[in-house]
Amino acid sequence: MKKLKHVAFALLLSVAAALPALAQEVKVIKYAELEQLRQLPHDTLYVVNFWATWCGPCVKELPYFEAANKQYKNQPVKVILVSMDAVQDLEKRVNTFAKKRSLQSELLLLDEPDGNTFIDKVDQKWTGAIPATIMFNNKRNTYYFLEGEMKEEQLQQLIQKYKP
Amino acid sequence: MKRVRIPFIYATCLLFVGLLLAAIPAAESGYQVGDTARDFKLKNVDGKMVSMADYKDAKGFIVTFTCNTCPYSVAYEDRLIELHNKFAPKGYPLIAINPNDTKASPKDSFADMQKRAKDKKFPFPYLQDETQDITKAYGASRTPHIYVVQKQQNGTYKVAYIGAVDDNSREADKVQKKYAEEAIEELAAGKTISQPNTKAIGCTIKWREA
Repeated sequence: MKKLKHVAFALLLSVAAALPALAQEVKVIKYAELEQLRQLPHDTLYVVNFWATWCGPCVKELPYFEAANKQYKNQPVKVILVSMDAVQDLEKRVNTFAKKRSLQSELLLLDEPDGNTFIDKVDQKWTGAIPATIMFNNKRNTYYFLEGEMKEEQLQQLIQKYKP
Repeated sequence: MKRVRIPFIYATCLLFVGLLLAAIPAAESGYQVGDTARDFKLKNVDGKMVSMADYKDAKGFIVTFTCNTCPYSVAYEDRLIELHNKFAPKGYPLIAINPNDTKASPKDSFADMQKRAKDKKFPFPYLQDETQDITKAYGASRTPHIYVVQKQQNGTYKVAYIGAVDDNSREADKVQKKYAEEAIEELAAGKTISQPNTKAIGCTIKWREA
């Protein structure tokens, strides 16, 4: 009987472990909301990664950002993933992807079909290629921009360097 | 004698540093509008080498860095064909260059390029920049990335427009601003290009591992 209890408990545990954590909902935003985010005055390091489901190098580096989100959960570090997928692909691609990977970072989708209206405003150095990442803490006037792939150690080093 | 020599060494050092500083950003950032673009000699999907100099009657070119694998590039294929068909008769043919390293992006191999060009019946050459030297010289960073160049009287090519095809990659029927087309129209009409630089979201170029 005792044995059976153990088996049942183990079974329950494994089922619980197999159930993926509920993924975050993707919020659709316009550039104005991104600009508001960019101006947040808090003493927090915001790590904002621009990606898309169709972008191979982006999908490759997402786990690094997810890991950082988890690792710095109780610290003033906030990871935000901004999808550049078209809004028409929200359900079919982006939400499906987010659920499949059970993404835990804050998820936004920037619904701006014309990159020319906002890319320069995010950073003049950005040519529009993704992945791209910005990090900022407006309270401390820190700012970092990278166009291209982020290495895992590089992301860790940057967060260590800039986090309050 | 010594008094003279030391300042001379300093001056030489300064000059050297200055030259280095001047050379580095230029090599990294590529062309800006107004710069002179170099010609190239790259292999087309038909096996022949193509240069801008081969086109005796062209007034300029729509040099487009694009590839097989980027969904944005694929979304623009039909619009690139339209662009070529509209402007080649006016003296501005399109030349497509695939900048991706085939090791980093195997589906951009020469054979895959040949297949794509055949399937889509590209009316323009589709060249492979195997060494990525041309891509670096132009400063292309994403696909698709357009450089409109105009042939000068002395035979050089001046960059007139750098940027996007239009303002909506996802839905061709919702396009409101045809950035590249407007630029070429203005260029062909001898007008100043009102928007010579535009930006769009695109795929990173897949560089060869150093």
